[in-house]
Amino acid sequence: MSHDNDELILSATGIRKSFGGVEVLHGVDLHLRRGEVLALLGENGAGKSTLVKILAGSYRPDAGEISFDGTSHAALDPILAKKAGIAMIFQEIADAPDLTVAENISLGRWPMRHGRVDWQEMRRTAREAMELLGGTDIDVDAPVRTLSIGQRQLLEIARNVSGSARILVLDEPTAALSSSEVDRLFATVERLKAAGVAMVYITHRLDEVTRIGDRVEVLRDGYLTLNEPVSAVDRAMMVSAMIGREAGDVERPRDNPDFGEIAIEAESLTSGSVFSDVTFTCREGEVLALYGKIGSGTAESAEAIFGLRGLVTGSIRLYGAETTAQSPFTAVRAGLGFLPADRKREGIFAARSAAENLAAPSWPLMAKWWFLSTAREFAAFLRWRTDLKIKSTESPGQLISTLSGGNQQKVLLARWFERQSKVLLLVEPTRGVDVGARADIYEILRKTAKADQRAVVIATSDGEEVVQVADRVIIMDRGRITSELVGDDITSGALALAVGN
Amino acid sequence: MFSAEPQQSAGSKKAPDLSTRKGRSVPELAALSVVLVIMIGYFSIASEFFLRPDNLLNILTAIAVTGILAIPATMLLIAGQVDLSVGSGAAFAGVVFAVVYSSQGVVSAIIISVAVGLLAGMVNGFLVTVVGINSLITTLGTLAVLRGGTRLLTDGQTAVVNDFTFLGTARPILGIPLPVLIFVAIAIAAILVMRYTVFGRSLYAIGANPVAARLVGIRTGLILFVTFALTGLAMSLGGLILTSQLSAASTNAGLGLELTVVTAIVLGGASLSGGRGSITGTMFGLLIIGVMNNGLVLLNVSSFWQDVARGVLLILAVSFDRLRERINARQG
Repeated sequence: MSHDNDELILSATGIRKSFGGVEVLHGVDLHLRRGEVLALLGENGAGKSTLVKILAGSYRPDAGEISFDGTSHAALDPILAKKAGIAMIFQEIADAPDLTVAENISLGRWPMRHGRVDWQEMRRTAREAMELLGGTDIDVDAPVRTLSIGQRQLLEIARNVSGSARILVLDEPTAALSSSEVDRLFATVERLKAAGVAMVYITHRLDEVTRIGDRVEVLRDGYLTLNEPVSAVDRAMMVSAMIGREAGDVERPRDNPDFGEIAIEAESLTSGSVFSDVTFTCREGEVLALYGKIGSGTAESAEAIFGLRGLVTGSIRLYGAETTAQSPFTAVRAGLGFLPADRKREGIFAARSAAENLAAPSWPLMAKWWFLSTAREFAAFLRWRTDLKIKSTESPGQLISTLSGGNQQKVLLARWFERQSKVLLLVEPTRGVDVGARADIYEILRKTAKADQRAVVIATSDGEEVVQVADRVIIMDRGRITSELVGDDITSGALALAVGN
Repeated sequence: MFSAEPQQSAGSKKAPDLSTRKGRSVPELAALSVVLVIMIGYFSIASEFFLRPDNLLNILTAIAVTGILAIPATMLLIAGQVDLSVGSGAAFAGVVFAVVYSSQGVVSAIIISVAVGLLAGMVNGFLVTVVGINSLITTLGTLAVLRGGTRLLTDGQTAVVNDFTFLGTARPILGIPLPVLIFVAIAIAAILVMRYTVFGRSLYAIGANPVAARLVGIRTGLILFVTFALTGLAMSLGGLILTSQLSAASTNAGLGLELTVVTAIVLGGASLSGGRGSITGTMFGLLIIGVMNNGLVLLNVSSFWQDVARGVLLILAVSFDRLRERINARQG
């Protein structure tokens, strides 16, 4: 913060934008100072992405003005945005995987000498950029395809910074990162700050705001509901600005802690080098969390139980009966339900209706003499729609891709409720889900465990989630179980401590 | 939570239950119907023969074999798979029939020909689902193998088949040729299967997202394998009908048929990336191609121009599809 922090490099005032007659931004302001990290918070649909797309020049605002370098504009186009030094870093990384790191950094503006590409110069630029960002371990001659997601993200930033971006918009950059990669990303953010780059940091995660944000703006339903220095706000203020009601600190569930018989027993599960000696049980009515960083073996253990991954040794018993799920088909028949981490790629059938998405695992049960009645599918959907508060149109034929992330996730959970699966294996059940729907999902999971006597096993890397939903948590690190916490011993602090060891 | 609502409220007011489904599929078939009506209108003015009942039957007969192959191929494309080997598969089954027929008689010839078609389909299915080769490449390979095999079996000669005309030329009901009846019967069965059975739904699910399909417990490999095998059976049937119609098994039978089949399916609204399409749509696609070919013949247009017209039709169909997708995307 040694810089002249009052130097305003971009300001957007009174921004309004409508789509098809519905106004989604109602006069929003955004000011950015040199070397500042502005955390932009808001639930899905609050208007965050519309606002940044206006800054990037992809959308034209209906009213308001955007000024930089002493001139005002009614709207930006991509060329103007580039002139203002604005660059967007999206979640989906758009690099050329078969070219080297150096080639990617200079993509489209390779340095030339005597009409030929100047490889020396290109490598030098790349090394410089990586040094600036703290990515010196990355080989600039390696093909990008060999990098991890975190390294690729760093590369994406390097590419834009070396193209002399002054303002970076980071759209939920940590969504797919492991926690060591998150640390590294934050170190990069600090370095960029020191170099005077301003950042708009879009996120769902409140702890990230306090960790790296200088100022926080919260959008709700297209209105700016909070705009304060991070040091002046607390968690509760941010949450209530986001969801429009008071929210206390993370609370433990307060329902019936009684469990039924043992539903699933995993014993000494070992899968090559990914995880080893994973042993746990989960009873009817219990929500068990497997907690650890991404890659620690939690999700992988769940996959193995569902027949998606081979086991070298180990046994799985469902209600005392030995089960070896060779494939999801046998796993589903044995009474297991599985929710994958990547909703879009592994969860939904985007081109199909919400009702079909919900009914798919139950088709064999719904069919009579081979024939499946659409009416039964629709009835199932409408029943769960009410039960789980799925926000959709009245029509079960609505495409699932037109629902919000949280509502899609509810449909995917209802899949297994409808199938009457007894044991649910859920990987990152609230990833990419906004705060409001997240609370709904926790309530649904508690309720299904208690009221329907299901055994719910969650593999997650989100500590808050564990505190809010789990009866018991097994902590994993590098493929092994390291400790276990039960009941009210589960606190954010205890989890942080357990993972830190 | 909020994001989905503005878009919904725009169109959902008047849309209870089923209507959204129709809202999606009607425009596809509506556009095809308009094209079909315009073509029929134009040809009936341009040629006095066009609307005669026997000419209309000609059109149906001409598309019957293509249609029999296009039906399982539509199922495959809905599941995101392509089968390019249907044309040479039909020719191969026909030639096998002719060879066996001359020495062993009609019953053995039919059995062996059907078995060979089934086997060809199962080989395709095995290569795609077990070995894991992309279906386009797999069937491009079997297309060449089967065509080569066809020519090897008869040394490139056309094999004459006498006294086997019933299947291709009989008119058992109301003077409608048997191939047309078979085609219509298969089409109706397929429509029911795709709409109302677990098998049909599973094909849509696999096409929409193969990983998700597997995770909900669908045996994706088995279902694709069976569909490839069904396509193989259709090749046999198509080959037998062609042979019966011509009283000969030509090594050039069904040459380029795979392109007509793909054109019809894509015209009918199926997406090359899977998950979308319908048998009814393919029927419309076939009718459009049939009417166009027939009309151009009546107008004495050279058959070379027919190829050009079919190609243009394919490109138009795909462009229209893209355009519609883009409009839909804009509406959210």
